[in-house]
Amino acid sequence: MWNERIEERIHQRVAAALWIGIALFVVLSARLWYLSVLRGEWFRERSERNRVRVVFLETLRGNIYDRRGVCLAEDIPRFRLVFLVGSSDEKLVMKRIREILRRDIVFSLRERAPGELVLLEDLPLEDVVRIEENSEHLPGVLVEVYPARKYRDGEVAASLLGYVGRVGPEELKVLGKMGYRNEDRIGKSGVESFYESLLRGEEGYRRVEVDALGRVVQVLDFQSPRFRYSLQLTLDWELQRTCYEALGRRNGVVLVGDPATGEILAFVSKPSFDPNLFSRGLSLKEWLDLLEQKSNPLLARPTQALYPPGSLFKILIALAALEEQVVTSRESFFCPGYLEYGNWKYLCWKRGGHGRVTFEEAIAESCNVVFYTLGLRLGPERIARYARMFGLGQDAHLDLPGVKTGFFPTPEWKREVLKEAWYPGDTMNLSIGQGYLLVTPLEMYLLLCTVANRGKVYDPHVLWRVLDENGKVVKEVKPSLRRTVALRPQTWDTVIRGMEKVVTQGTGFNCRGLPVKLAAKTGTAQNPHGKEHSWFGGFFPSDRPKFVFLVLVEHGGDGSGEAALVARKVIEWILQNRGV
Amino acid sequence: MMRREHFFVLVTLCLCILGVVAVYSVDPLRDEGFGPKSFFGRQVLWNAVGWALFLLFRFSDFQWLFRRSWLWYLFSVLSLGAVLVFGESDETGAKRWLFSRSVQPSEFAKLALLFFLSSYLSTNRDELDFWSLLVKSAFFVAVPTLLVFLQPDLGTALVLGVLWFGALFIGGWHKRKLGLLLGLFAGLSPLSWFIMKDYQRKRILAFLNPWKDPLGSGYNVVQSQIAIGSGGFLGQGWLSGKQTQLRFLPARYTDFIFAAFCEQFGFAGGMVLLTLFILFFWIVLEVAQRVENLEERLFAALFGILFLFQVGINVGMNLGIAPVTGIPLPFVSYGGSSLLVHLAGAGMIARLIWRTEQEERERWI
Repeated sequence: MWNERIEERIHQRVAAALWIGIALFVVLSARLWYLSVLRGEWFRERSERNRVRVVFLETLRGNIYDRRGVCLAEDIPRFRLVFLVGSSDEKLVMKRIREILRRDIVFSLRERAPGELVLLEDLPLEDVVRIEENSEHLPGVLVEVYPARKYRDGEVAASLLGYVGRVGPEELKVLGKMGYRNEDRIGKSGVESFYESLLRGEEGYRRVEVDALGRVVQVLDFQSPRFRYSLQLTLDWELQRTCYEALGRRNGVVLVGDPATGEILAFVSKPSFDPNLFSRGLSLKEWLDLLEQKSNPLLARPTQALYPPGSLFKILIALAALEEQVVTSRESFFCPGYLEYGNWKYLCWKRGGHGRVTFEEAIAESCNVVFYTLGLRLGPERIARYARMFGLGQDAHLDLPGVKTGFFPTPEWKREVLKEAWYPGDTMNLSIGQGYLLVTPLEMYLLLCTVANRGKVYDPHVLWRVLDENGKVVKEVKPSLRRTVALRPQTWDTVIRGMEKVVTQGTGFNCRGLPVKLAAKTGTAQNPHGKEHSWFGGFFPSDRPKFVFLVLVEHGGDGSGEAALVARKVIEWILQNRGV
Repeated sequence: MMRREHFFVLVTLCLCILGVVAVYSVDPLRDEGFGPKSFFGRQVLWNAVGWALFLLFRFSDFQWLFRRSWLWYLFSVLSLGAVLVFGESDETGAKRWLFSRSVQPSEFAKLALLFFLSSYLSTNRDELDFWSLLVKSAFFVAVPTLLVFLQPDLGTALVLGVLWFGALFIGGWHKRKLGLLLGLFAGLSPLSWFIMKDYQRKRILAFLNPWKDPLGSGYNVVQSQIAIGSGGFLGQGWLSGKQTQLRFLPARYTDFIFAAFCEQFGFAGGMVLLTLFILFFWIVLEVAQRVENLEERLFAALFGILFLFQVGINVGMNLGIAPVTGIPLPFVSYGGSSLLVHLAGAGMIARLIWRTEQEERERWI
């Protein structure tokens, strides 16, 4: 039934198909116009993002020098392997790396940034060479240079310099606003932490063109990371080392400084740790080991540990008693080996007693009976007033993080907190630096500085100069007078004479015979956990002090023998190598 | 005045040359010379064979192809069956190839079905617009379509289906019947979701929102649009498209060659291609109007529709307005089977143009 109607319709349909084709042509052209002309800019930028990868290069940190220019901490280059996720099969890549390096390797697979896995860190140079030689078999693998912190003889000044760690995801929430990236290095303690803003430099970047497999086609531009400032500390490295070694295998503290400026010359805390371990990345086990050690090596003992000051505190009692005129330098006392008060006998450390002693001899012999008496004459309120005057229990203004303050007990405190009355016995304990009283070694060091300076207290500091990239000094820390303790000159004279006698005829016999006039005081801090801590602190030359020192030997035992022996080594070294 | 046939040959030639240019620009072995192993070298070789076929059909009467259309039909069904049994898989896991990946029978099935449909409908011209012929032809088309679908090659299956619908459209079925068919198809197509393979579903979803997963299932669509968009008006220049040269663009030789072309030659280059396509289509449909013979008219019109649909889907998916299906761009995409089939078809169209011109001239004389 082939008919004209169908034939006509076929003609119409062919014509209709032509129009459909034209309509399609218009639609496709319009879309093409939309994509390439109207939104071309947007897509071009997309294409850029496709092919351009920006790799941020970690900032460099400034170096840290000692006062003589010895480099204590610096950044050195290390190598690591980074894998760009998605550029190839990571399992295959890892298998090939094992083959190339011919050993079994545990990959860290840490995600440093979105799409970037750190495969291996701290790669030896020969491995780097092997990897580079085989780079065409390792698509998506980049060898990256990164800075690692290197500390000179790590353990010697670890608690002062501190260490650097990496910013973790949690910290990033806060630090991210300050321009830190995940895994950036940041000072975690010590100078590294306190002067983070000066030490941290500027990050660099490398913009590279990559193909679809993540292989670098070319480097588009490059900005190397830089540091901005280096620090020169007041520390004397050789002295620091001497102090560290003088302690030997004992734990404790050595502080040496210049009383006229507040400069800290040595800052030793033992036991110590090696901050270089943190630079290469501590394993969890190593970190837990450090934390769990009973001796707590991460504690910066000079500023963060609290001890009873023991007889060292008698210096303050002696000053107060003279100034308040409850005693004169000519008064003499009798020590039978104990002081009876009420029904109690308060013992002197010398069982047989010191017999008849003058005030100065009482200091030299550290006679408890005399100081019980002076303490009772002064009363707790006056002792507290003098403690405040000397800055005990107050901010030390040292430029290190986490500096603690000691604890000074008062009758009000005892009433409010312990709900007990203050007994004369408490006063007597306080007078010999025992009981509730706790101090940091730094506080005792500052007390010695105050005496050496006859009342002038300068802020202690470890930073001396800030240097720019070219080593030019951009800032110098000047001595800053914190306060003046105004006592009568004869008060200072008497106490300093007493402290000289400590060495020449008293408890500091271990330092006898040194070719310098030395004023010092011994101390023994009772310790409920074991043998007593041994203190020895003072200054020399005593008529115009240039060095103040403080030694604490933990569990040094009875008397001040141990600490004084350490001090002697330090003083001898100073006299020989630095002069007075 | 230029003769229509010459114009047609010129358009076809331009498309092939641009195809070779495009394949050259994405050839990864470009720098290693143009041996027979490079994509470019092979494309040139296929072009040579294809143009030989073009000339063969241009200068010989191809009526015998219509008379033996059943043979081609059976042959293509058998070869598609063979693909399912002996075929070799490609990267996607689909079986599409015979003879160590040199022949893609589904491409030849397009041409075979073209002959079969135009011959079958014109033989049964008394039944045009009848439900009976519609059902019978549907059955014949369904067999190869199903075989292709099982490979799985959704794109070519779709092309075969469209070819059938195009035949009904050109064959003069009433628009109510066609509308009913379309409605039926639209109603049933959601069901096809359940028989689709996973990757096919992902492609559909990716088409609906490619930027949701730009590195996963939406990658093709996104990278293709980036390539086209970053070409701008005049393009980044030959051999310098970043998307293409840094190989972000997938299937650069085949499915996404249009995007690679546009990145290099921009909107202007894209429009040149599109214009050549529409001119080609126009000439083919025009000759369909001119020929007297019904089966030749159906053949020409269906060839035009086949061409238009493939261009539309391919360019559409490059532009992100059609789902990603593995349909090559006629004359331009890298690939021998497709090129041979289309050049052979073009040769036949050229003969029809020549003949109608002869007939018109005779009429004047």
